[in-house]
Formats: sequence, structure tokens, C-alpha cells
Amino acid sequence: MMEEAEIVELLEKNIPDGLLSVVTPRVRKVSAEIAPDIIRKAAETLLCKGARLIIIAAVDAGLDIDLLYHFDLEGKVVVLRVKLGKEKPEIDTVADLTPTAEWAENEAAELCGVRFRDHPKPGHLVLSDKLPEGTFPLGKPFKSKLPDEIGPVAEAVITVGATAPISSLMKRRRVEAGLPPQPPASYSNESQLKEVHELIRQTNFSRQAGYDWKRKKLRGVKK
Amino acid sequence: MKKYALFLGCMIPQRLPSAELATHKVFNSLGLEIAEMTGYTCCPDPILARLMDRKVALSMSARNLSIAEGQGLDVVVLCNGCYETLWEANEFMKRGETSREINELLAKVGRKYNGTINVRHVVEVLHEDVGIEAIKNQVKKPLGLKLAVHHGCHLFREENGRDIWRKPKQFEELVSATGAEVVRSDVDQLCCGFPTSHVDEEFSLKHNLLPKLERYQHIGVDGIVVVCPACNVQFESGQLALRRYSAKFSIPCLHLVELLALAFGAPSKELSLEFHRSPVSQLVARIG
Repeated sequence: MMEEAEIVELLEKNIPDGLLSVVTPRVRKVSAEIAPDIIRKAAETLLCKGARLIIIAAVDAGLDIDLLYHFDLEGKVVVLRVKLGKEKPEIDTVADLTPTAEWAENEAAELCGVRFRDHPKPGHLVLSDKLPEGTFPLGKPFKSKLPDEIGPVAEAVITVGATAPISSLMKRRRVEAGLPPQPPASYSNESQLKEVHELIRQTNFSRQAGYDWKRKKLRGVKK
Repeated sequence: MKKYALFLGCMIPQRLPSAELATHKVFNSLGLEIAEMTGYTCCPDPILARLMDRKVALSMSARNLSIAEGQGLDVVVLCNGCYETLWEANEFMKRGETSREINELLAKVGRKYNGTINVRHVVEVLHEDVGIEAIKNQVKKPLGLKLAVHHGCHLFREENGRDIWRKPKQFEELVSATGAEVVRSDVDQLCCGFPTSHVDEEFSLKHNLLPKLERYQHIGVDGIVVVCPACNVQFESGQLALRRYSAKFSIPCLHLVELLALAFGAPSKELSLEFHRSPVSQLVARIG
């Protein structure tokens, strides 16, 4: 019989790249967060050891949809948690690997709007086929937990380390007034701003706020 | 020569650079030296940013304080909001557990804050470190103006057990030292409405700013003096915004350091008072 530690080892060995974290929160339970693109490999790893898919739960968390694949492996519950950004909530099907997934994926699709690529039998599970396209009963607004009013401040503070960066017009006016175009703030110095960004990353705030570091914007629909 | 690390914050460089200029002139006249705080960030904002996340707010504040500590200088602040945020953070950083938690984060970017410096409002520095008599000695142009003093909510924040009127009274005495008359009214302690404007602009204009301006206009003040750029923005942009509701006002508003610079004889042109959106030129004309 596999112990919890052996299950952790199994995951670490077989899906080293996409395994984001793995913990044993209590006896007979292992919980792993994985990248969406390794869901098939992760499911196969467990299924090859005789695991059974119990259920896939979909939770709309505002900016992302959490998919929780619950497996039973020799009496232990193994949960694979996948975060799908709501910009493109797509993931490969596992229905061809385990038939239990077929209806569970259909349920997550119709209730939360997840698209399961290459699903063998897409369609509604319990809801009417006449439901207007894009209607997902358990879907929530595409926004973080931050109040709407705080969004712009949060975005500016993360991006430039200030609530009000200097506009180009103000830079010109400052120079005309005999001041340097910018104060010695972090946004006027690349290495200082880099340090501020690293500090913000360390607090985990940017993740909670749903900040997209590439686009330098908060994710989600703005008010 | 006493030296301070000047924390400019976000709003002064962007909206009120004239206060930045005036600070240099006033400090220079009084024999005080200013050091720049290279790489500082938002304090962060006392209302909005601090609601976001305690750790990110405290670590940004502590990072700012570590910059001044690295220079071995106390911080001087020109904004009530920045003052409250940095002062509070400084107090939190004297507590072992919080200091350890935040310093662990700072260490990841190569910084540490030991809590060895003080955060001072410009009002405190001018009143306590310079003194009213020394200020009066610098006044070249006594201002025969009737001025409303808007203290600003955060100026009342004080250490437990201390007099919350300590800094507001100091502020009034500094205005009086210029030769101006401080006109008191029953709306002095009403918030200008800047914080609520983020949530409900109409409410902030009609229920905070409007009653204040109506009262000041009724009393016939020559202008409003503030020690916070956010209050200044609210008084100036707010007067323009109130025109949407058919309420017209034309009351100048300026920062204490600008008032002092004018009283110390600095030519108004050198202060670039045109950054203001209220008729400060009207007030300057009265000074002559």
C-alpha cells in the first residue's frame, strides 16, 4: 500500500516540471498544484498506479477558475489543483484516460465556462441546450478580490511604486520651473524600480491583486 | 546645519511642484539642509494602499525609512497622509515581531530597517526645531491676510496619550508668524473630502467641500492654507468640479511652505505658483 510520502515522491519524480507545490495537509490526503499543460501526464501517473477519478470540482475564483481533480489512490485522496486564467479557460481533456471525467468535465464546462480540448462528447450535462451561449450559472465577474476603487491605485503602486507617476507634460513643466524632470523616486531609476518590484513579488500581493507583470496591468474587467 | 531626508511622496512632484520649490527656499533661509531620498516609493497611500495588503504596505514604508536611515537622517514630510503612514510604520517597526517579519522581506532585496530614525511633519520641524521666533525673524513681507487653516484629518494623528491638537496648533502658530490672521470657523475640522472622492465624488464635493467653501466665503477669507497636497488638490480641483452643480468659488489655496516662502520675500515667479489650479495669483497680488 502506498503511503502519502510515496505519493508525493511519485508526483515529484514523474511531473517534476509542472509540479508547482505538493503538500500532505492531513492523513490520507495529498494535495498538489500543477500547471495546466501537464494535467494529462499527472492524471496518467496516478491512473497507472490504479487510482480512480472521484470528481472534478470547478471553482470560479474571480480571476481564475480552480479545477480540483480528486483521485482515490489506495484509500488516499489525491487532489490535483489546476488554475486556469479566465482570459482563456482551456485545458486538455482527460475523459479519454478515465471515463468518469466525461460528465465531470461537461459539468465544469456548462457551470463555469471551462473548455476541455478534445473532449470526446462535448455538450450540456444538466442544463438546457437552449441556454444562451456564454451563460455560466456558477461564473463570477472577471475581477480580483480588491474593491473596484482600489484597482487603479494598486496597479499604479505595483507598476511604478507610486500612486501618481509623472506625466510627460508635468516633466516639461517641472524643468521650466527649474526642477529636475522627475523627483528621485523609484520610477525614475530602473534598478530602484526593479528592487521595488522584487519586494512586491515577495509579499505575494501582486498575485492576490491579479497583476500581470508582462502587461503591467491588473487582470480582469475594469469598472 | 541641521539636515533632513526630504520625503516628497507622489502628489507633490506631480501636482504641486511649487511646494517642492518653496520647501528648498524656506529650508535654505532657515539654515536647514535637505537630502534627497533616492529610490523612494509611495508611502504608501494612507487610505487606499493600506487597505490593499498589510505586508506590502508596511514593507514599502519600511523600505522608504531604510533609505533615510542609510543616510543617518530623520525624515521630513510635506503631506499629512505620508506623515501618518510613515510615522505609523516607524512605530510598528519598533515592535519585535513586526520588525522581524518585515525585515525578512526587506532582506530579500538587500535592505534592513533598524528603527533608528524619526518621522517628522514639516510643521513639527519648523515649530520645534526652528521655532516661531526664528521664523518671525525671516519674515520680510508680513502678510496682512485673513486665512482659513485647514489642518487636514491626518495631522491630528498622535501618539497615545499626547495632545491631538499639538501639530494643528503648531500649524496655526506658523501661519500667524507670517503676519496673517488665522480665521477660525465651525467647519475647520470637517474633512476636505479627498478620501471619499475615490468612492463617491459627488458626495465628497457636496457634503465635505461645499460646506467648507460656503463658510469660508461667508467669512471672507483671502485664502486657505493646507499642509497636505491631497487637501490642496481637493480644494482646487473641487472648486472647479463644483461648477457642475452651479456652485462657484474663487478661493486661493496654498501649502504652508509656499506661504512662508512668500512671507520670507521669495518672488512669486521663482515659486512657480502657476502650478496651482486656484487663483493664488489673486492672493499674491494682495501681498504686493
